[in-house]
Order: sequence, then C-alpha cells, then structure tokens
Amino acid sequence: MLVSYNWLKDFLDLDIDPKDLGEKITRTGVEIASVEHPQDGLKKLVVGHVLDCEDIEGTHLHLTHVNVGEEEALQIVCGAPNVAAGQLVIVALPGARVAGNHKIKKGKIRGIESLGMICGLQEIGFPDSVVPKEFADGIYVFPEDAEVKPGDDVYEALGMDDYILDFDITPNRADTLSMEGAAYEVAAIVDQKPKIEEVVLKEDGNAWTDGFEAKIDEKLAPKFYLRKLSNVKVSSSPLWMQRRLWNAGIRPINNVVDVTNYVMLLTGQPMHAYDARSFADNKLEVRLANDGEKLTLLNDKKVELDSHDIVITNGEKPVMMAGVMGGKNSEVEADTTDVILEAAIFDGTLVRKSALRHANRTEASSRFEKGVNWDNVEKAINMAALLLRNDASATIEAGLLKATDTKRPETEIEITGSYINKVLGTELSSDEIVKIFDQLNFKCASAGDKLTVTVPNRRWDISIQADLVEEVGRIYGYDNIKSTQPLLAETIGGYTEFESKIRRIKKFVEGQGMLETISYSLTSPEKAIRYTMNPKSVVEVEWPLNSSRSALRQNLITGLVDAASYNMARKEKQLNLFEQSRVYDHEGGSYNEREHLAALFAGETFDANWQHQGEAIDFYYVKGKLEELFLALGIDQDQVEYKAEVVSGMHPTRTAAIYINKEYLGLIGMIDRVVTLADKSLRGSELYVYELDLDVLSQYITKGMTAKPAPKFPSIERDLSLLVDKKISSRQIENVIKANGGKYLHDVKVIDVYEGSHIDNDAKSLAYKLVFLNEKDTLTDEVVTNSVDKITDALVEELEVKVR
Amino acid sequence: MDLFDKLKELREEGLEEIKKATDEKRLNEVRVQLVGKKGELTSILHSMKEVAPENRREVGQRVNELRDLFNAQLDETKKNIVSALIQKKLEDERVDVTLPGRKSSVGAKHPIYVILDDLEELFIAMGYQVVQGPEVETDHYVFEMMNLPKDHPARDMQATFYVDGENLLRSQTSGDQARVLEKHDFSKGPLKMVGPGKVYRRDDDDATHSHQFMQMEGLVIDKHVTMGDLKGTLELIAKHMFGQDRQTRLRPSYFPFTEPSVEMDVSCFNCDGKGCPICKYTGWIEILGAGMVHPNVLENAGVDSSVYGGFAFGVGLDRLAILKYGVDDIRDFYTNDVRFLKQFRKEEN
Repeated sequence: MLVSYNWLKDFLDLDIDPKDLGEKITRTGVEIASVEHPQDGLKKLVVGHVLDCEDIEGTHLHLTHVNVGEEEALQIVCGAPNVAAGQLVIVALPGARVAGNHKIKKGKIRGIESLGMICGLQEIGFPDSVVPKEFADGIYVFPEDAEVKPGDDVYEALGMDDYILDFDITPNRADTLSMEGAAYEVAAIVDQKPKIEEVVLKEDGNAWTDGFEAKIDEKLAPKFYLRKLSNVKVSSSPLWMQRRLWNAGIRPINNVVDVTNYVMLLTGQPMHAYDARSFADNKLEVRLANDGEKLTLLNDKKVELDSHDIVITNGEKPVMMAGVMGGKNSEVEADTTDVILEAAIFDGTLVRKSALRHANRTEASSRFEKGVNWDNVEKAINMAALLLRNDASATIEAGLLKATDTKRPETEIEITGSYINKVLGTELSSDEIVKIFDQLNFKCASAGDKLTVTVPNRRWDISIQADLVEEVGRIYGYDNIKSTQPLLAETIGGYTEFESKIRRIKKFVEGQGMLETISYSLTSPEKAIRYTMNPKSVVEVEWPLNSSRSALRQNLITGLVDAASYNMARKEKQLNLFEQSRVYDHEGGSYNEREHLAALFAGETFDANWQHQGEAIDFYYVKGKLEELFLALGIDQDQVEYKAEVVSGMHPTRTAAIYINKEYLGLIGMIDRVVTLADKSLRGSELYVYELDLDVLSQYITKGMTAKPAPKFPSIERDLSLLVDKKISSRQIENVIKANGGKYLHDVKVIDVYEGSHIDNDAKSLAYKLVFLNEKDTLTDEVVTNSVDKITDALVEELEVKVR
Repeated sequence: MDLFDKLKELREEGLEEIKKATDEKRLNEVRVQLVGKKGELTSILHSMKEVAPENRREVGQRVNELRDLFNAQLDETKKNIVSALIQKKLEDERVDVTLPGRKSSVGAKHPIYVILDDLEELFIAMGYQVVQGPEVETDHYVFEMMNLPKDHPARDMQATFYVDGENLLRSQTSGDQARVLEKHDFSKGPLKMVGPGKVYRRDDDDATHSHQFMQMEGLVIDKHVTMGDLKGTLELIAKHMFGQDRQTRLRPSYFPFTEPSVEMDVSCFNCDGKGCPICKYTGWIEILGAGMVHPNVLENAGVDSSVYGGFAFGVGLDRLAILKYGVDDIRDFYTNDVRFLKQFRKEEN
C-alpha cells in the first residue's frame, strides 16, 4: 500500500522527516520498502495558460503562446492532439528537468522557435497506470478546481510535493492497507492519538429499501450493506481526490468509481457501485455460481464461473464476481443516474481462490483474502454516500439496507506483565505495558500483574497472548531489547554418527582433488533411473515446472554427467567432480531417501606439462581413487568385491558393480559411448564415474582404533610370474594365493599384466609380488620358499596355471 | 748417487706425479708406484743393505717421512678429485627453479557447503545438535504442524511440489522442528538444534529464483528462553558471517510458526549503510527470519506451551553465499561450472 505522508497528516501531527518516519515504521511495524518524493529530480515545471493555439500546416504540430506568469508569453510548439487555447497546462520552461533526468532546452521545431514544452503527466514521472484515460495520449489539463494560476509550481497541485511511503506488508498486517489503519499504526509509533472521524450522514431522498429484495447467503457474505443514490451526475472527481488516488497508485476514472476506491483507501473496506438499472426487478442475490455461468468483468475478461465462486446476481444472472471485480453488465456509465452502493464482508478463502483461479487478483480481493475490519462497513458506505453527494450531486435515498449483519465481538485477552517480560527478556513495569496498549488504542484493564486487553476488530490479527507479546515487544522497540545468550543447562552439540561419517568421506574425497558440486534432485523420469543398478519405483511430482524436472533422481551420476556436458561445452575437459546428496524412491509404498556419493573423472591423471605427457584417466585410476577412500575409511578391502555388470547408461564391458560383504554398495565404470555420442559436447570423451550408497558403506566405517608398533623385522619379497587362461580373473588368482600363502603372507601386488602376440591367444601373463613378513621374528628363506611352493602348487591344481 | 740423493729425487718426482694425476685411476697407479708393496719407497728400503750401518737409521727415518708425505698428498689429491667429481655431478643436475611445477587437481568445497559447515561449527560449539529430516515430507509436518492449516493464505507464498495428496517436496526445513519437538524429552534438558537441508519451491529458475535451494533451521526450546536470547543469537550469526563491525536491526515480520516474528537485516557490507545497488539503496540487507515459537506449534507437537517456549530461526544458505561472495545469479550454484567452483579452493573451510 502506498501511503501518502500528506494524507497521514489529516490524522496526525507529523513534523518528522518522512524518511526517518519510514525507518521508524520499518523497525516497529511494517517494512517501508521505499519513501518516494515524486518531485525529486524535477525542475522548472510551472502552470501555463494557453493563450492561443494554431495548427502548423502540413504537420500534426500546434503553435501556441503560453502565459507562464512572466510579462511575455512563451512561444511553444506542441505536438499533443488535445492542446487548445484557454487550457491551464504543465509547462517545462527552458532549463527544466523532466522525468528521466531529461533537460528541456530552447530549440527549433520545423524551423519554428519553441521555448519549452507542454507536458503530459507521464513526461513528468507519472506511471502510465495512474494517468486518467483522457490524458493518456496527450498533455495534462488542469481542471477548474485546481486553483492554480500561470507561473505557479505544478508540484503541489499534482500532489508531487508529497512523500509516498510504500508499506510492504506481511499478510498479517492487512489492517494497514488503509489510511486509517496506517494512521493507527503510525500513531502508536509516534505516540499520538489519531484523529479518526465518524461520518455524520443526513439522507435526503426517499425510502427505498422496502421494495428491494436482497437474498444473501450469510456464510458467503456475513455482512452485506446496500445504499441507493439517485440523480447522480457522472463526471471527473475533484482534483484533491484524484491526487490522493494516483499517489496511491490508482487511476482516477469518474467520480462514482473514484469514490469507491477512495473509501477503500480510507477505510480498508472494498466497495462497489452498480448502475441501479442492473437491478430492474429490484432483486439482488448473493450465492455460489452455477457451473458454467458466464460473466464479463470490468476489465473485459470473460470468465466461466463454477460453484466455488461467489457471485452477486440481479435475481437472474451474475452482475459481479463478489469481492473480486464487477461485471460489465452493471457498470456505472456516463449516463448512469441511479447507483446502488455495496459494502460487504465476503468469505476470504473463497474470494482468494476465485481470484487465483481466474488469475484476476484485485485491490479488493487481496483485502478480502487478508481480512477486513468488520466494524468499518457502515462507516465506509456512509462515507461513500456523503462523497457522492458532494462530488456527483447525488441524492442519498433514505435507508441503509443491512441484508446481513453478523456481529463479530471484540477479542478479550488476559495476560500478565511477568509473562510478557519472560518471553521478551525485558523488565517492563505494569505501567509501561499499559502505556503501550494505550498507544495502540487497545483498552487495557490492569489489576496488579494481571492485564485484560480488549482488541478492537480493526486488529483481527491479534487473538492470543503471543500476539500481545509481539505488540508490546515491537512498540517498546526491538532495538531496546538487550541481546543475551540462552542460559540453559549444558547440551552437547554435534552431528549424528551417520552425518559425521559422511563428513569424513567428503573431506577425504575433496582432499583427492575433487570439486564438490550440487545438482538438482529433480530430473527427467529417464535420467532418474539411468546409471542405476536396481531401479526402484520413481517419485514424480504432480505439477512439474517442466518434464526435465519432474522426477526425483535415484542416482547422482546423472547430475555429474550433465555438469560434464556443461563444462566440456565450455572447453573445460579436465574434470574431477563429486557430489554427496540424497537419492529418492517410492518402493514398497513408502518414500525412501538414501545418502549417496558419486564422482566423475575426465581428462588426465596429472596435468601434462613441458616435462611429461598427460596420462588419460582410465578405469584403474578411478578404482585406485576408490581404494584409497576405502583405505582411509578403514574398510577391509577383502570384503569389497568388483563384479563386471551391465547397467543402463554405463559402458557394458568397463563397468563393475561393487559389493561389500555381498551387499550391493555401488558401481564404478565408464559412461556408455551411447550416452556420450548423443551429446555433442561429450562426444569422444571418456567419462569415468563411481557411485556409492553411503547408507551401506557407513556400516563398515569404524571409529576408534588401537595402534601396533611398527614391525621390527624386515619383510621378504618374491615375484611370481604366471601364464593363465584369459577367463581367469586376477581376483581368483589372488584368492588362491591368499588362501595358500600361510600366516606370513603379508601383501600381494599385481606387478604386470600381458596379453598379446608373445603368448597364446587364450592366455594372459600375470606377475605378482608377494610380500612375506613375520612381525615377531626373522623370517627364513626356507619358510618363504615353502609358502611359495604351496601357492604355486595350489595355483596349478586349482586354476591350471603355468608358473613361468 | 747415494740414497739420500735418490730420496731427494724421488721426493720431487713423486710429488710431481701426484700433482699430475687428475683422476682416481691414475692416482691409484701413482700410489702403487710410490708407496705400494712393490713401490719405489719399498725398493729403497730393500736396498738398505747397501747403506752404511751408521746411516741406516737416518735413511729409514727419511723413507718413513717421505711415505707420510706421499700418503698425505695422495689423500689430499684424492679428496680434491672426488670433490671435483661431485661438484660436476651436482652441476649437471641443476634444475631451473623457475620452471612450473607439475600439478594434479586441487579439490574444493561447494560454496554453499562452505557457508553451511561454517554455521554448523558455530552452532555445534554452542551446544546445538545438527538434525536432518526427510526431503519428501508430509503436508502434516511441513504445514499443519507448523500452524499452516489447509487454506492458510501463507501457503500461497510457497508454491509447493506435491507428489501426492499428502506428500510433498518440503518447501521449508521447519518440518524438522516439528519432528524433533515431538521426540524431545524435556526432562533430559533443553532442546537446541539446527536443521540444514535442501528445500524445493515451484519457482521457475532465474537469476534470483531457484526451484531448489538450501536452508538452515534453528530451534531452542526450554523453560526460560527469551526474545533477548534470540536477538543475541541472531547477532552472533550476522557478525560471524559478515564481520564484527556490522550493525544489525530486527524488523517485525510474519511467519505462521512464530509469534512474535522478526526479520534481521545487517548493515550493507558493500557500502557500509550509505546505499548502493546491493542493498537497493536502503543501507540494509535482509539475511534471515526468526521469532518466538508459536504456541500452536508447541502444542501440536505435544509440548506444554504454558511451561516451555523458545525461539526458531531460518536462514537461506544460498542467499548468504550470494551475499558473502558477491554472486549475482543463484543458478551459478547449480550449473557446476568448474571455472566458478575452482575459485572456492582458496576459501577457508
């Protein structure tokens, strides 16, 4: 809500700098997003009287002479279609500054000297949305009631000398969506009593209510008041009202519509004015719409209504979408003479949903959805009637028709001063607290510590003790509350055990030179289960933003491959990326989340440089990184098994599933060439990845250990060179070696692998280094030789290995 | 020539030979020739019988002196030769210390995790437990328990991804609050927790909106927790993040799950409050929302709100990272451009 500082002065004695006031309100009640002074940046804009105006032949231009209060009139060439002799207009004198910091200079137009410019409102900074339609495409012409004379500054007459405070309200403070509400709020802050006046209305027409039948569903409209005015003369509103409207961001339309808007700004009560001809049968009904009923709104939007929309009908067809916008068929027009005024309270939830469903939120609907003051309905409708009599010489027909009139009692809350102090951490006395409620204009009865506070209906946001604590806290001032730290019994902070393990893993992987990434959890249903060994039921969102973000991923690799594509398209080919995040599924009827770790490698193991060539990353490099991780986590590598597998999206002969203690842990391998070929930026790249289920891995991570002394005796190494069938895996050989190596076999390393022309097609040559160690005594050659013999015998026996 | 002359001659010739030897092989030959078992000195000793008996003693002495001299010279020369060799080898091994080193990659934490880890450490030190909750949450925990019944207007403020009628991708981490509140045994002490995690909203991605981002929730509940405690705690966060010399202000705000509700602004660290594009010329930058936990939230979780109370706060980690690192597009956190991410290798974490 845009709140005029000048208008606020109707209610309060203000002599505070508007910007300082804005800061005060921000700290105490409602955030003031900005304080604007419309005339800022403008210069030398005065009222001019057009003395004469001639068309310049062959152009759309006019040659005018304008009295700007100087002895000599100015010759100005003006292109506006609506300029005419006799008008009072806005003149930018030579040297003036207009909107956009534009400078106006003397000049020649079509060879004719022009000493300044006659301005439209937009040219001096008015937004299009508030400029009255008649001046939308031309210059502004002051009305007779402007009380301006040539040479005057234009700012005051146009309300540009005002300061506009933008109340950026939170949904609970809709009470400040009116000048009176804002005045109460500011009054509490500056500690004044606001001058809120009652309306005294004398009806001067005939009784009209008896012949009028209003059938209202009380649940839809708990309050529904009507008044009738006759002899209305529709024209423009007085300038003072137009000023207030446009400074509040509302376009002046005509004196009837303007009054309804003005009263809404003043009281917060949305109003509507119908042409009384719409109710020819003297019938009005408030009901839910029938499915399929149609209505054309005032903004020409055609809506198809359904049974969730409240409508006002003339007994037959809808003439208004209640609380949202009137119908074209009941619009007040130039020839309207009789007007039905409506002030009502509608069901906020239904209004909100209607406005949303029909994408037609309005000033009125946003007020109904956030709440309005139930005690202002009568004042609003009477004020509107009064203003119409003044502005449109209307006759106020006798009788206020209260078709429904549900009362809302004021809220009474009991609270103690000590409770308020306990929550705020303050030491306010009872008197101080009572004083604060008085500033807020709440009735407050105190008996010792006990307070009974009566909250007026204009503050419908307050209903419980905590709400009162907030009122006291903010008016006392959050700046005045002392900063403390909670003085509580000691608690031990920390992560959960699982979370600590995840941190340990992340730290190590980062130390391996990996860049941490975060990708979106939502992806396409296909990608959600690509790179996934055992896809589960996918979680999909009901209304996705688009199909590529509609399903929750079951793997992290997909995000890393997307990142690789993004980077490679930008010529970043050396990639060491990882992500630690969750994956999601909907297996077995429940929503399940698991923590995963995934990494992607592309490019070279070491940067190539002047000294060395680069070495391409391959399966074994990545496996080594994984083995390092397991080592650092204290995982017994013998428990970990790699089995070649075919997984969607993964290279069919370069991928392994990883098992720990026979349980599926994750996978490692190369991204399938089918995937990389399909992506222009990935084409030709070899991307290696691994992904681990940390829920599984974490069970094998141990914490705490006992140290052993370093062995005092040296180890003995023996090399073993074997010729084996190609089908036999290194793992099988290692298993046999380990099973037969005896208790001093300390380590087995693969030192050479050869397949090729020097040996049989079906064979491969493997060489191992066996390390023997006795930690307690010197190891003899004899013992080692025995062990090696046993190993070779077993290898020959079990795997038909040839020892070379 | 008598033996004395011979010795004199040998002395000169020997020293000359030693001097001429420039490598170890030649020097060894000279050593054998001069002082070896079949060397010249030995042969002089062997010819002792030709010496008059009265002179034998003196000749013996001279021979020994000469042997000592030769040995000393030989050793000295050997030392020089070896040292020259080493010198040459070292010279051959010289590296150009100005050539670049050979690098493998250097890792980095994601900036959002830099911020999160930093905050978590701060809170852990103050006795807070770090708690994680599900991302696919129920409407019940995210909204109903948090005092946002169905049809609450504030639900419009958070367009939510539903996966079915009751389950949704959480739009705020506050669901963790409700879960922890339900479980906490207050007879065992106060509740102090922070709950970080991913949240999701139905916003189209642009420079300032992301359908996925990270939040951290904080909650402290006990018998005597005040708004002053909240203020002190929030100031700690602000100053920890943005510097001890920052000013802060609390503004009244509205959240359905707290009452009173506040937002905290910190004086703009770019212009120090004078006004600049970063603070939209207000001098202040909003960093978080907070408040005293709404009694309905406590009661919904079975906590007696007449006895227990406290504060909660929620902070957007992406927003903090944007502010702290001067990032102008939130999507930078999720496109994973290595040229962006690598910058954070140098950020302390």
